[in-house]
Amino acid sequence: MQDAADKLEQWTRFYQRAQTLLRGGRRALRRLSGAELAHLIDEYQALIADLARARSLGAARETVDQLNRIAVAGHNLLYGQIRLRERAAPAYGAASFARLVRKHTWAVALSAMVFFGAALASFVAVQLYPSLGYDLLADEFLDFDPANRDNLHSIPSLARPVVSSLIISNNIQVTLLAFGLGLTAGIGTTVLLLFNGIHLGSVAGWMMLHGKDRALWGWIMPHGGTELLAICLAGAAGYVLAGAIVAPGQVRRSTALKNTGGDALGIELGCMVMLVIAGLIEGFVSPSGIDYPSRIAVLAVSLGIWALYFFGAGLKPVRSAASEPASQPLSSSQGN
Amino acid sequence: MEERVHIATPDHVSLEFELAGPGSRFSAYVIDFIVNVLLVIAIVLTAYLTGALAALRSLASISAGASASWLWALVVLIIFLINWGYYVFFEGVGKGSTPGKKRMGIRVIRQDGLPIGLREAALRNLVRAADMLPPPSYILGGLVMHFDPHGRRLGDMVAGTYVVVEKFDLAAQGASGAAWAKRVEQGRSRQALTLPRGAISAQQIGLIEQFLARSHELPKERRRQLIWQITEPLLPLLEEDRDSLERSAERTERCERLLLQILDLAQQKTASVAIAPKAPQPSSLF
Repeated sequence: MQDAADKLEQWTRFYQRAQTLLRGGRRALRRLSGAELAHLIDEYQALIADLARARSLGAARETVDQLNRIAVAGHNLLYGQIRLRERAAPAYGAASFARLVRKHTWAVALSAMVFFGAALASFVAVQLYPSLGYDLLADEFLDFDPANRDNLHSIPSLARPVVSSLIISNNIQVTLLAFGLGLTAGIGTTVLLLFNGIHLGSVAGWMMLHGKDRALWGWIMPHGGTELLAICLAGAAGYVLAGAIVAPGQVRRSTALKNTGGDALGIELGCMVMLVIAGLIEGFVSPSGIDYPSRIAVLAVSLGIWALYFFGAGLKPVRSAASEPASQPLSSSQGN
Repeated sequence: MEERVHIATPDHVSLEFELAGPGSRFSAYVIDFIVNVLLVIAIVLTAYLTGALAALRSLASISAGASASWLWALVVLIIFLINWGYYVFFEGVGKGSTPGKKRMGIRVIRQDGLPIGLREAALRNLVRAADMLPPPSYILGGLVMHFDPHGRRLGDMVAGTYVVVEKFDLAAQGASGAAWAKRVEQGRSRQALTLPRGAISAQQIGLIEQFLARSHELPKERRRQLIWQITEPLLPLLEEDRDSLERSAERTERCERLLLQILDLAQQKTASVAIAPKAPQPSSLF
């Protein structure tokens, strides 16, 4: 029985050591000397051999479970520290958002078609059949006057921070829904884009009809370019997920989802940043007293910057994972 | 939905995890929901009290209004962050466990068995809206979980994660473990075995050991074929009757017993031990 006691002690020791190192994280592992590390790996391999043997020779359930548990700790310790580069994992750098948007052009085009298509259609519809406005518009917009100093142009400067943060969180919530509802094969995303597009188009059409359009555009323009673009791209993120469900290709749908999930998330995260920018403009610039031409200028500059970013950023090919030195697998960052 | 999931490691050993059922996952959700609500209440209360205090101190000061506005702007953002970021934060930082999950003894892992990071946590939780359909019933997510063999909701599929049960206490390692440890220790050495009718080389013994260690992962029919291929050439050495064994209904079981016997013999290091007429019955442990 001496052997057995040794064995038990060895397992227990390895488990405790693994737990300590796991708590210490990457730094604890890096402090180990080469010999210590090699010893640790030896112990792990002895352990999983024991596990395999225990399982195949039919040891008691709890013994196998415990060995399995220790093996999981060892596995997480040794492999968890190695940066595992998933094939589709994007590097979330500054240019990756642009790269992802370019990669999924079809989704962006589809989303833009649905969103701006709905806006345009409802705009035209309200022009042709003004009575539609009563069905499409929310009540508070019917008598709404964008030029009235009480509502849009003069959010009191004291309230601007609150208004701005409300707008930001509300818009981000909309894009998160557009993104997540992509999992309904895109149906939820489409409904959301249609609703928002129709709302935008019918309000614009109604104001045009009543001659209030100049004031409306004046208010929308500074932040609108960024905000509408972001909503459109969030729809694209939803459609990227939907693509994995509708057309998974050669793999299972769950696998296809896993493969494209990272791309969709990258686009969604980019949209959130855009909406923070848009919300700050909407809360602080749009209600300020700047004149009409400056408002056009803000729109032009913001759209110009986005065009430059989306068409220009990250055109150089990324350094692929294979070309990076693989010599120090344990010193790399982030277990991902 | 199955009870367990096997994860193949680079070492060709499969690690086993027990999948968390809908019951414990829902309970964890309820706990997290309550914690979430309490957090929001605490923050609004704190902001309200600080705001009131600030107003009291700087009565009639102009800056009071402005700072209150910034304070409430901050509160709005923090509440939004809590609502959407609660799970992302706790799962991303806490290796897949939220307070509710910790209480229920479950945790989220990646499909390769590693703990999840922020990326997986963000993916599986930011798409929650779809699982919640029609809100807030979680009917869609529940249906997907029910039909998926690994009990994943849609968010788990997107992120590539499983929710597993975290249990076991190493202190509970009992006497059975000790007895088993002995057996495993003995199985370690490999040396040639010389029998009266011939020798079995160290490589052959190594092969037997490897086969036994992996055979549970093979499909039944394949296992039956392989074990026969391995055992058949050894039968003359063991003085077993090949034909009767081949026709035997429990051929695989008997072959396995013979292979185990060879490993036992190889362990005893004495060269020419006669084969016991009857295979030793496995003890109650095995």
